[in-house]
Amino acid sequence: MMRFLFLVILCWSFTCNAQNTAIAPGEKLVYTASYNMSGILNDIAQVTMETSNVQTSKATLLRLKCTAATYSKWDNFFKIRDLYESYVNPKTLTPYLYKRNINEGSYFKAMKYTYSHKTNTIKSVQTKKNNQVQNKDFTFNAGSNDIVSTLYKLRTLDYETMRVGQQKTIHVIFDRKETKGYITYLGKETLNTAIGTKTCYKISIGSDSKALEGGNSNLLWLTADANKIIVFGKFKIPVGNGELKIKSASGLKN
Amino acid sequence: MKKLFTVLAIIASFLAIILAVLPVSNLAIIPSILALVFGLLAFYLSKKTGQVKKIIQFTFFLTIIALAITTYKALFSITEVADTQELKATESQSKEEALEELEDLEIEDIDIDTSELEDIEL
Repeated sequence: MMRFLFLVILCWSFTCNAQNTAIAPGEKLVYTASYNMSGILNDIAQVTMETSNVQTSKATLLRLKCTAATYSKWDNFFKIRDLYESYVNPKTLTPYLYKRNINEGSYFKAMKYTYSHKTNTIKSVQTKKNNQVQNKDFTFNAGSNDIVSTLYKLRTLDYETMRVGQQKTIHVIFDRKETKGYITYLGKETLNTAIGTKTCYKISIGSDSKALEGGNSNLLWLTADANKIIVFGKFKIPVGNGELKIKSASGLKN
Repeated sequence: MKKLFTVLAIIASFLAIILAVLPVSNLAIIPSILALVFGLLAFYLSKKTGQVKKIIQFTFFLTIIALAITTYKALFSITEVADTQELKATESQSKEEALEELEDLEIEDIDIDTSELEDIEL
């Protein structure tokens, strides 16, 4: 599921600081994740993406939360309960704190990044089973994002001004490494989804990492409206391929 | 040849039954079709020689049961997430910890129009 989320989410961090006009607190997007087994797609998990405001004494931040949970029929085989969070600036989606809690059967891993944008450093704390704690500080390039804020940040891009085939380079921080990724705008397509027929921006995602297969195998469709929500995704990883389909959407900003 | 098709039909029909009762019941369609094809071939060849073994009919029986289970599960089983208490507890705890950590952070460059936030329940 780690890889799955990575590939679904993996993409870019933009060097430009796009303003958020698409994401509001109180938004909830629910997806069904399917995995291809012998040519037949099987629904394996529900992925939920929620936003909410978080008030500190200094500022109000936006909490971006992603959860992945296997459907009950799979729980006896491999139970997944993953939580990804990013606390970001509500206007620019600049991350300040990232937390990841992976609970997959007998496998457990937690990760925390605390960003310092003044020094471009991240203090990370990794916790594994039996409380094995590992601290590591590392530097990051300005404009790099964690996986959750990256996913939301792609909704702040202005696709209308992009040419078909236009490519952007992106930087995503995952597992305490900065990965270079590429996004290609492939034009508009109309899709029938659970939330209606939508005209969508189609984009392709690639990376230098081995997590994603090459070519146009990893695709995302974002609604071609002011909300730019992801309604459909196709992914291909070394161990197989699958899809992500929207189930419901509520609390949208526009 | 008759024996080969009979053995293949038996294997495919048992595989179909096993897959049908697992969460991957959709996959049972493939061995079910194979079991039917092999079973029919074995049945045809057996009939030519004038002796149809009961085991061939048994493979048809197993295949029909597998297809019935698969169809029932595809039509009537609800895909839902259960047992999320632990996840919700983790979420809540994580948020509390995050709030404490955020208080200690230097958060700069945030200029929020608070009028937008007044209507939001925190």
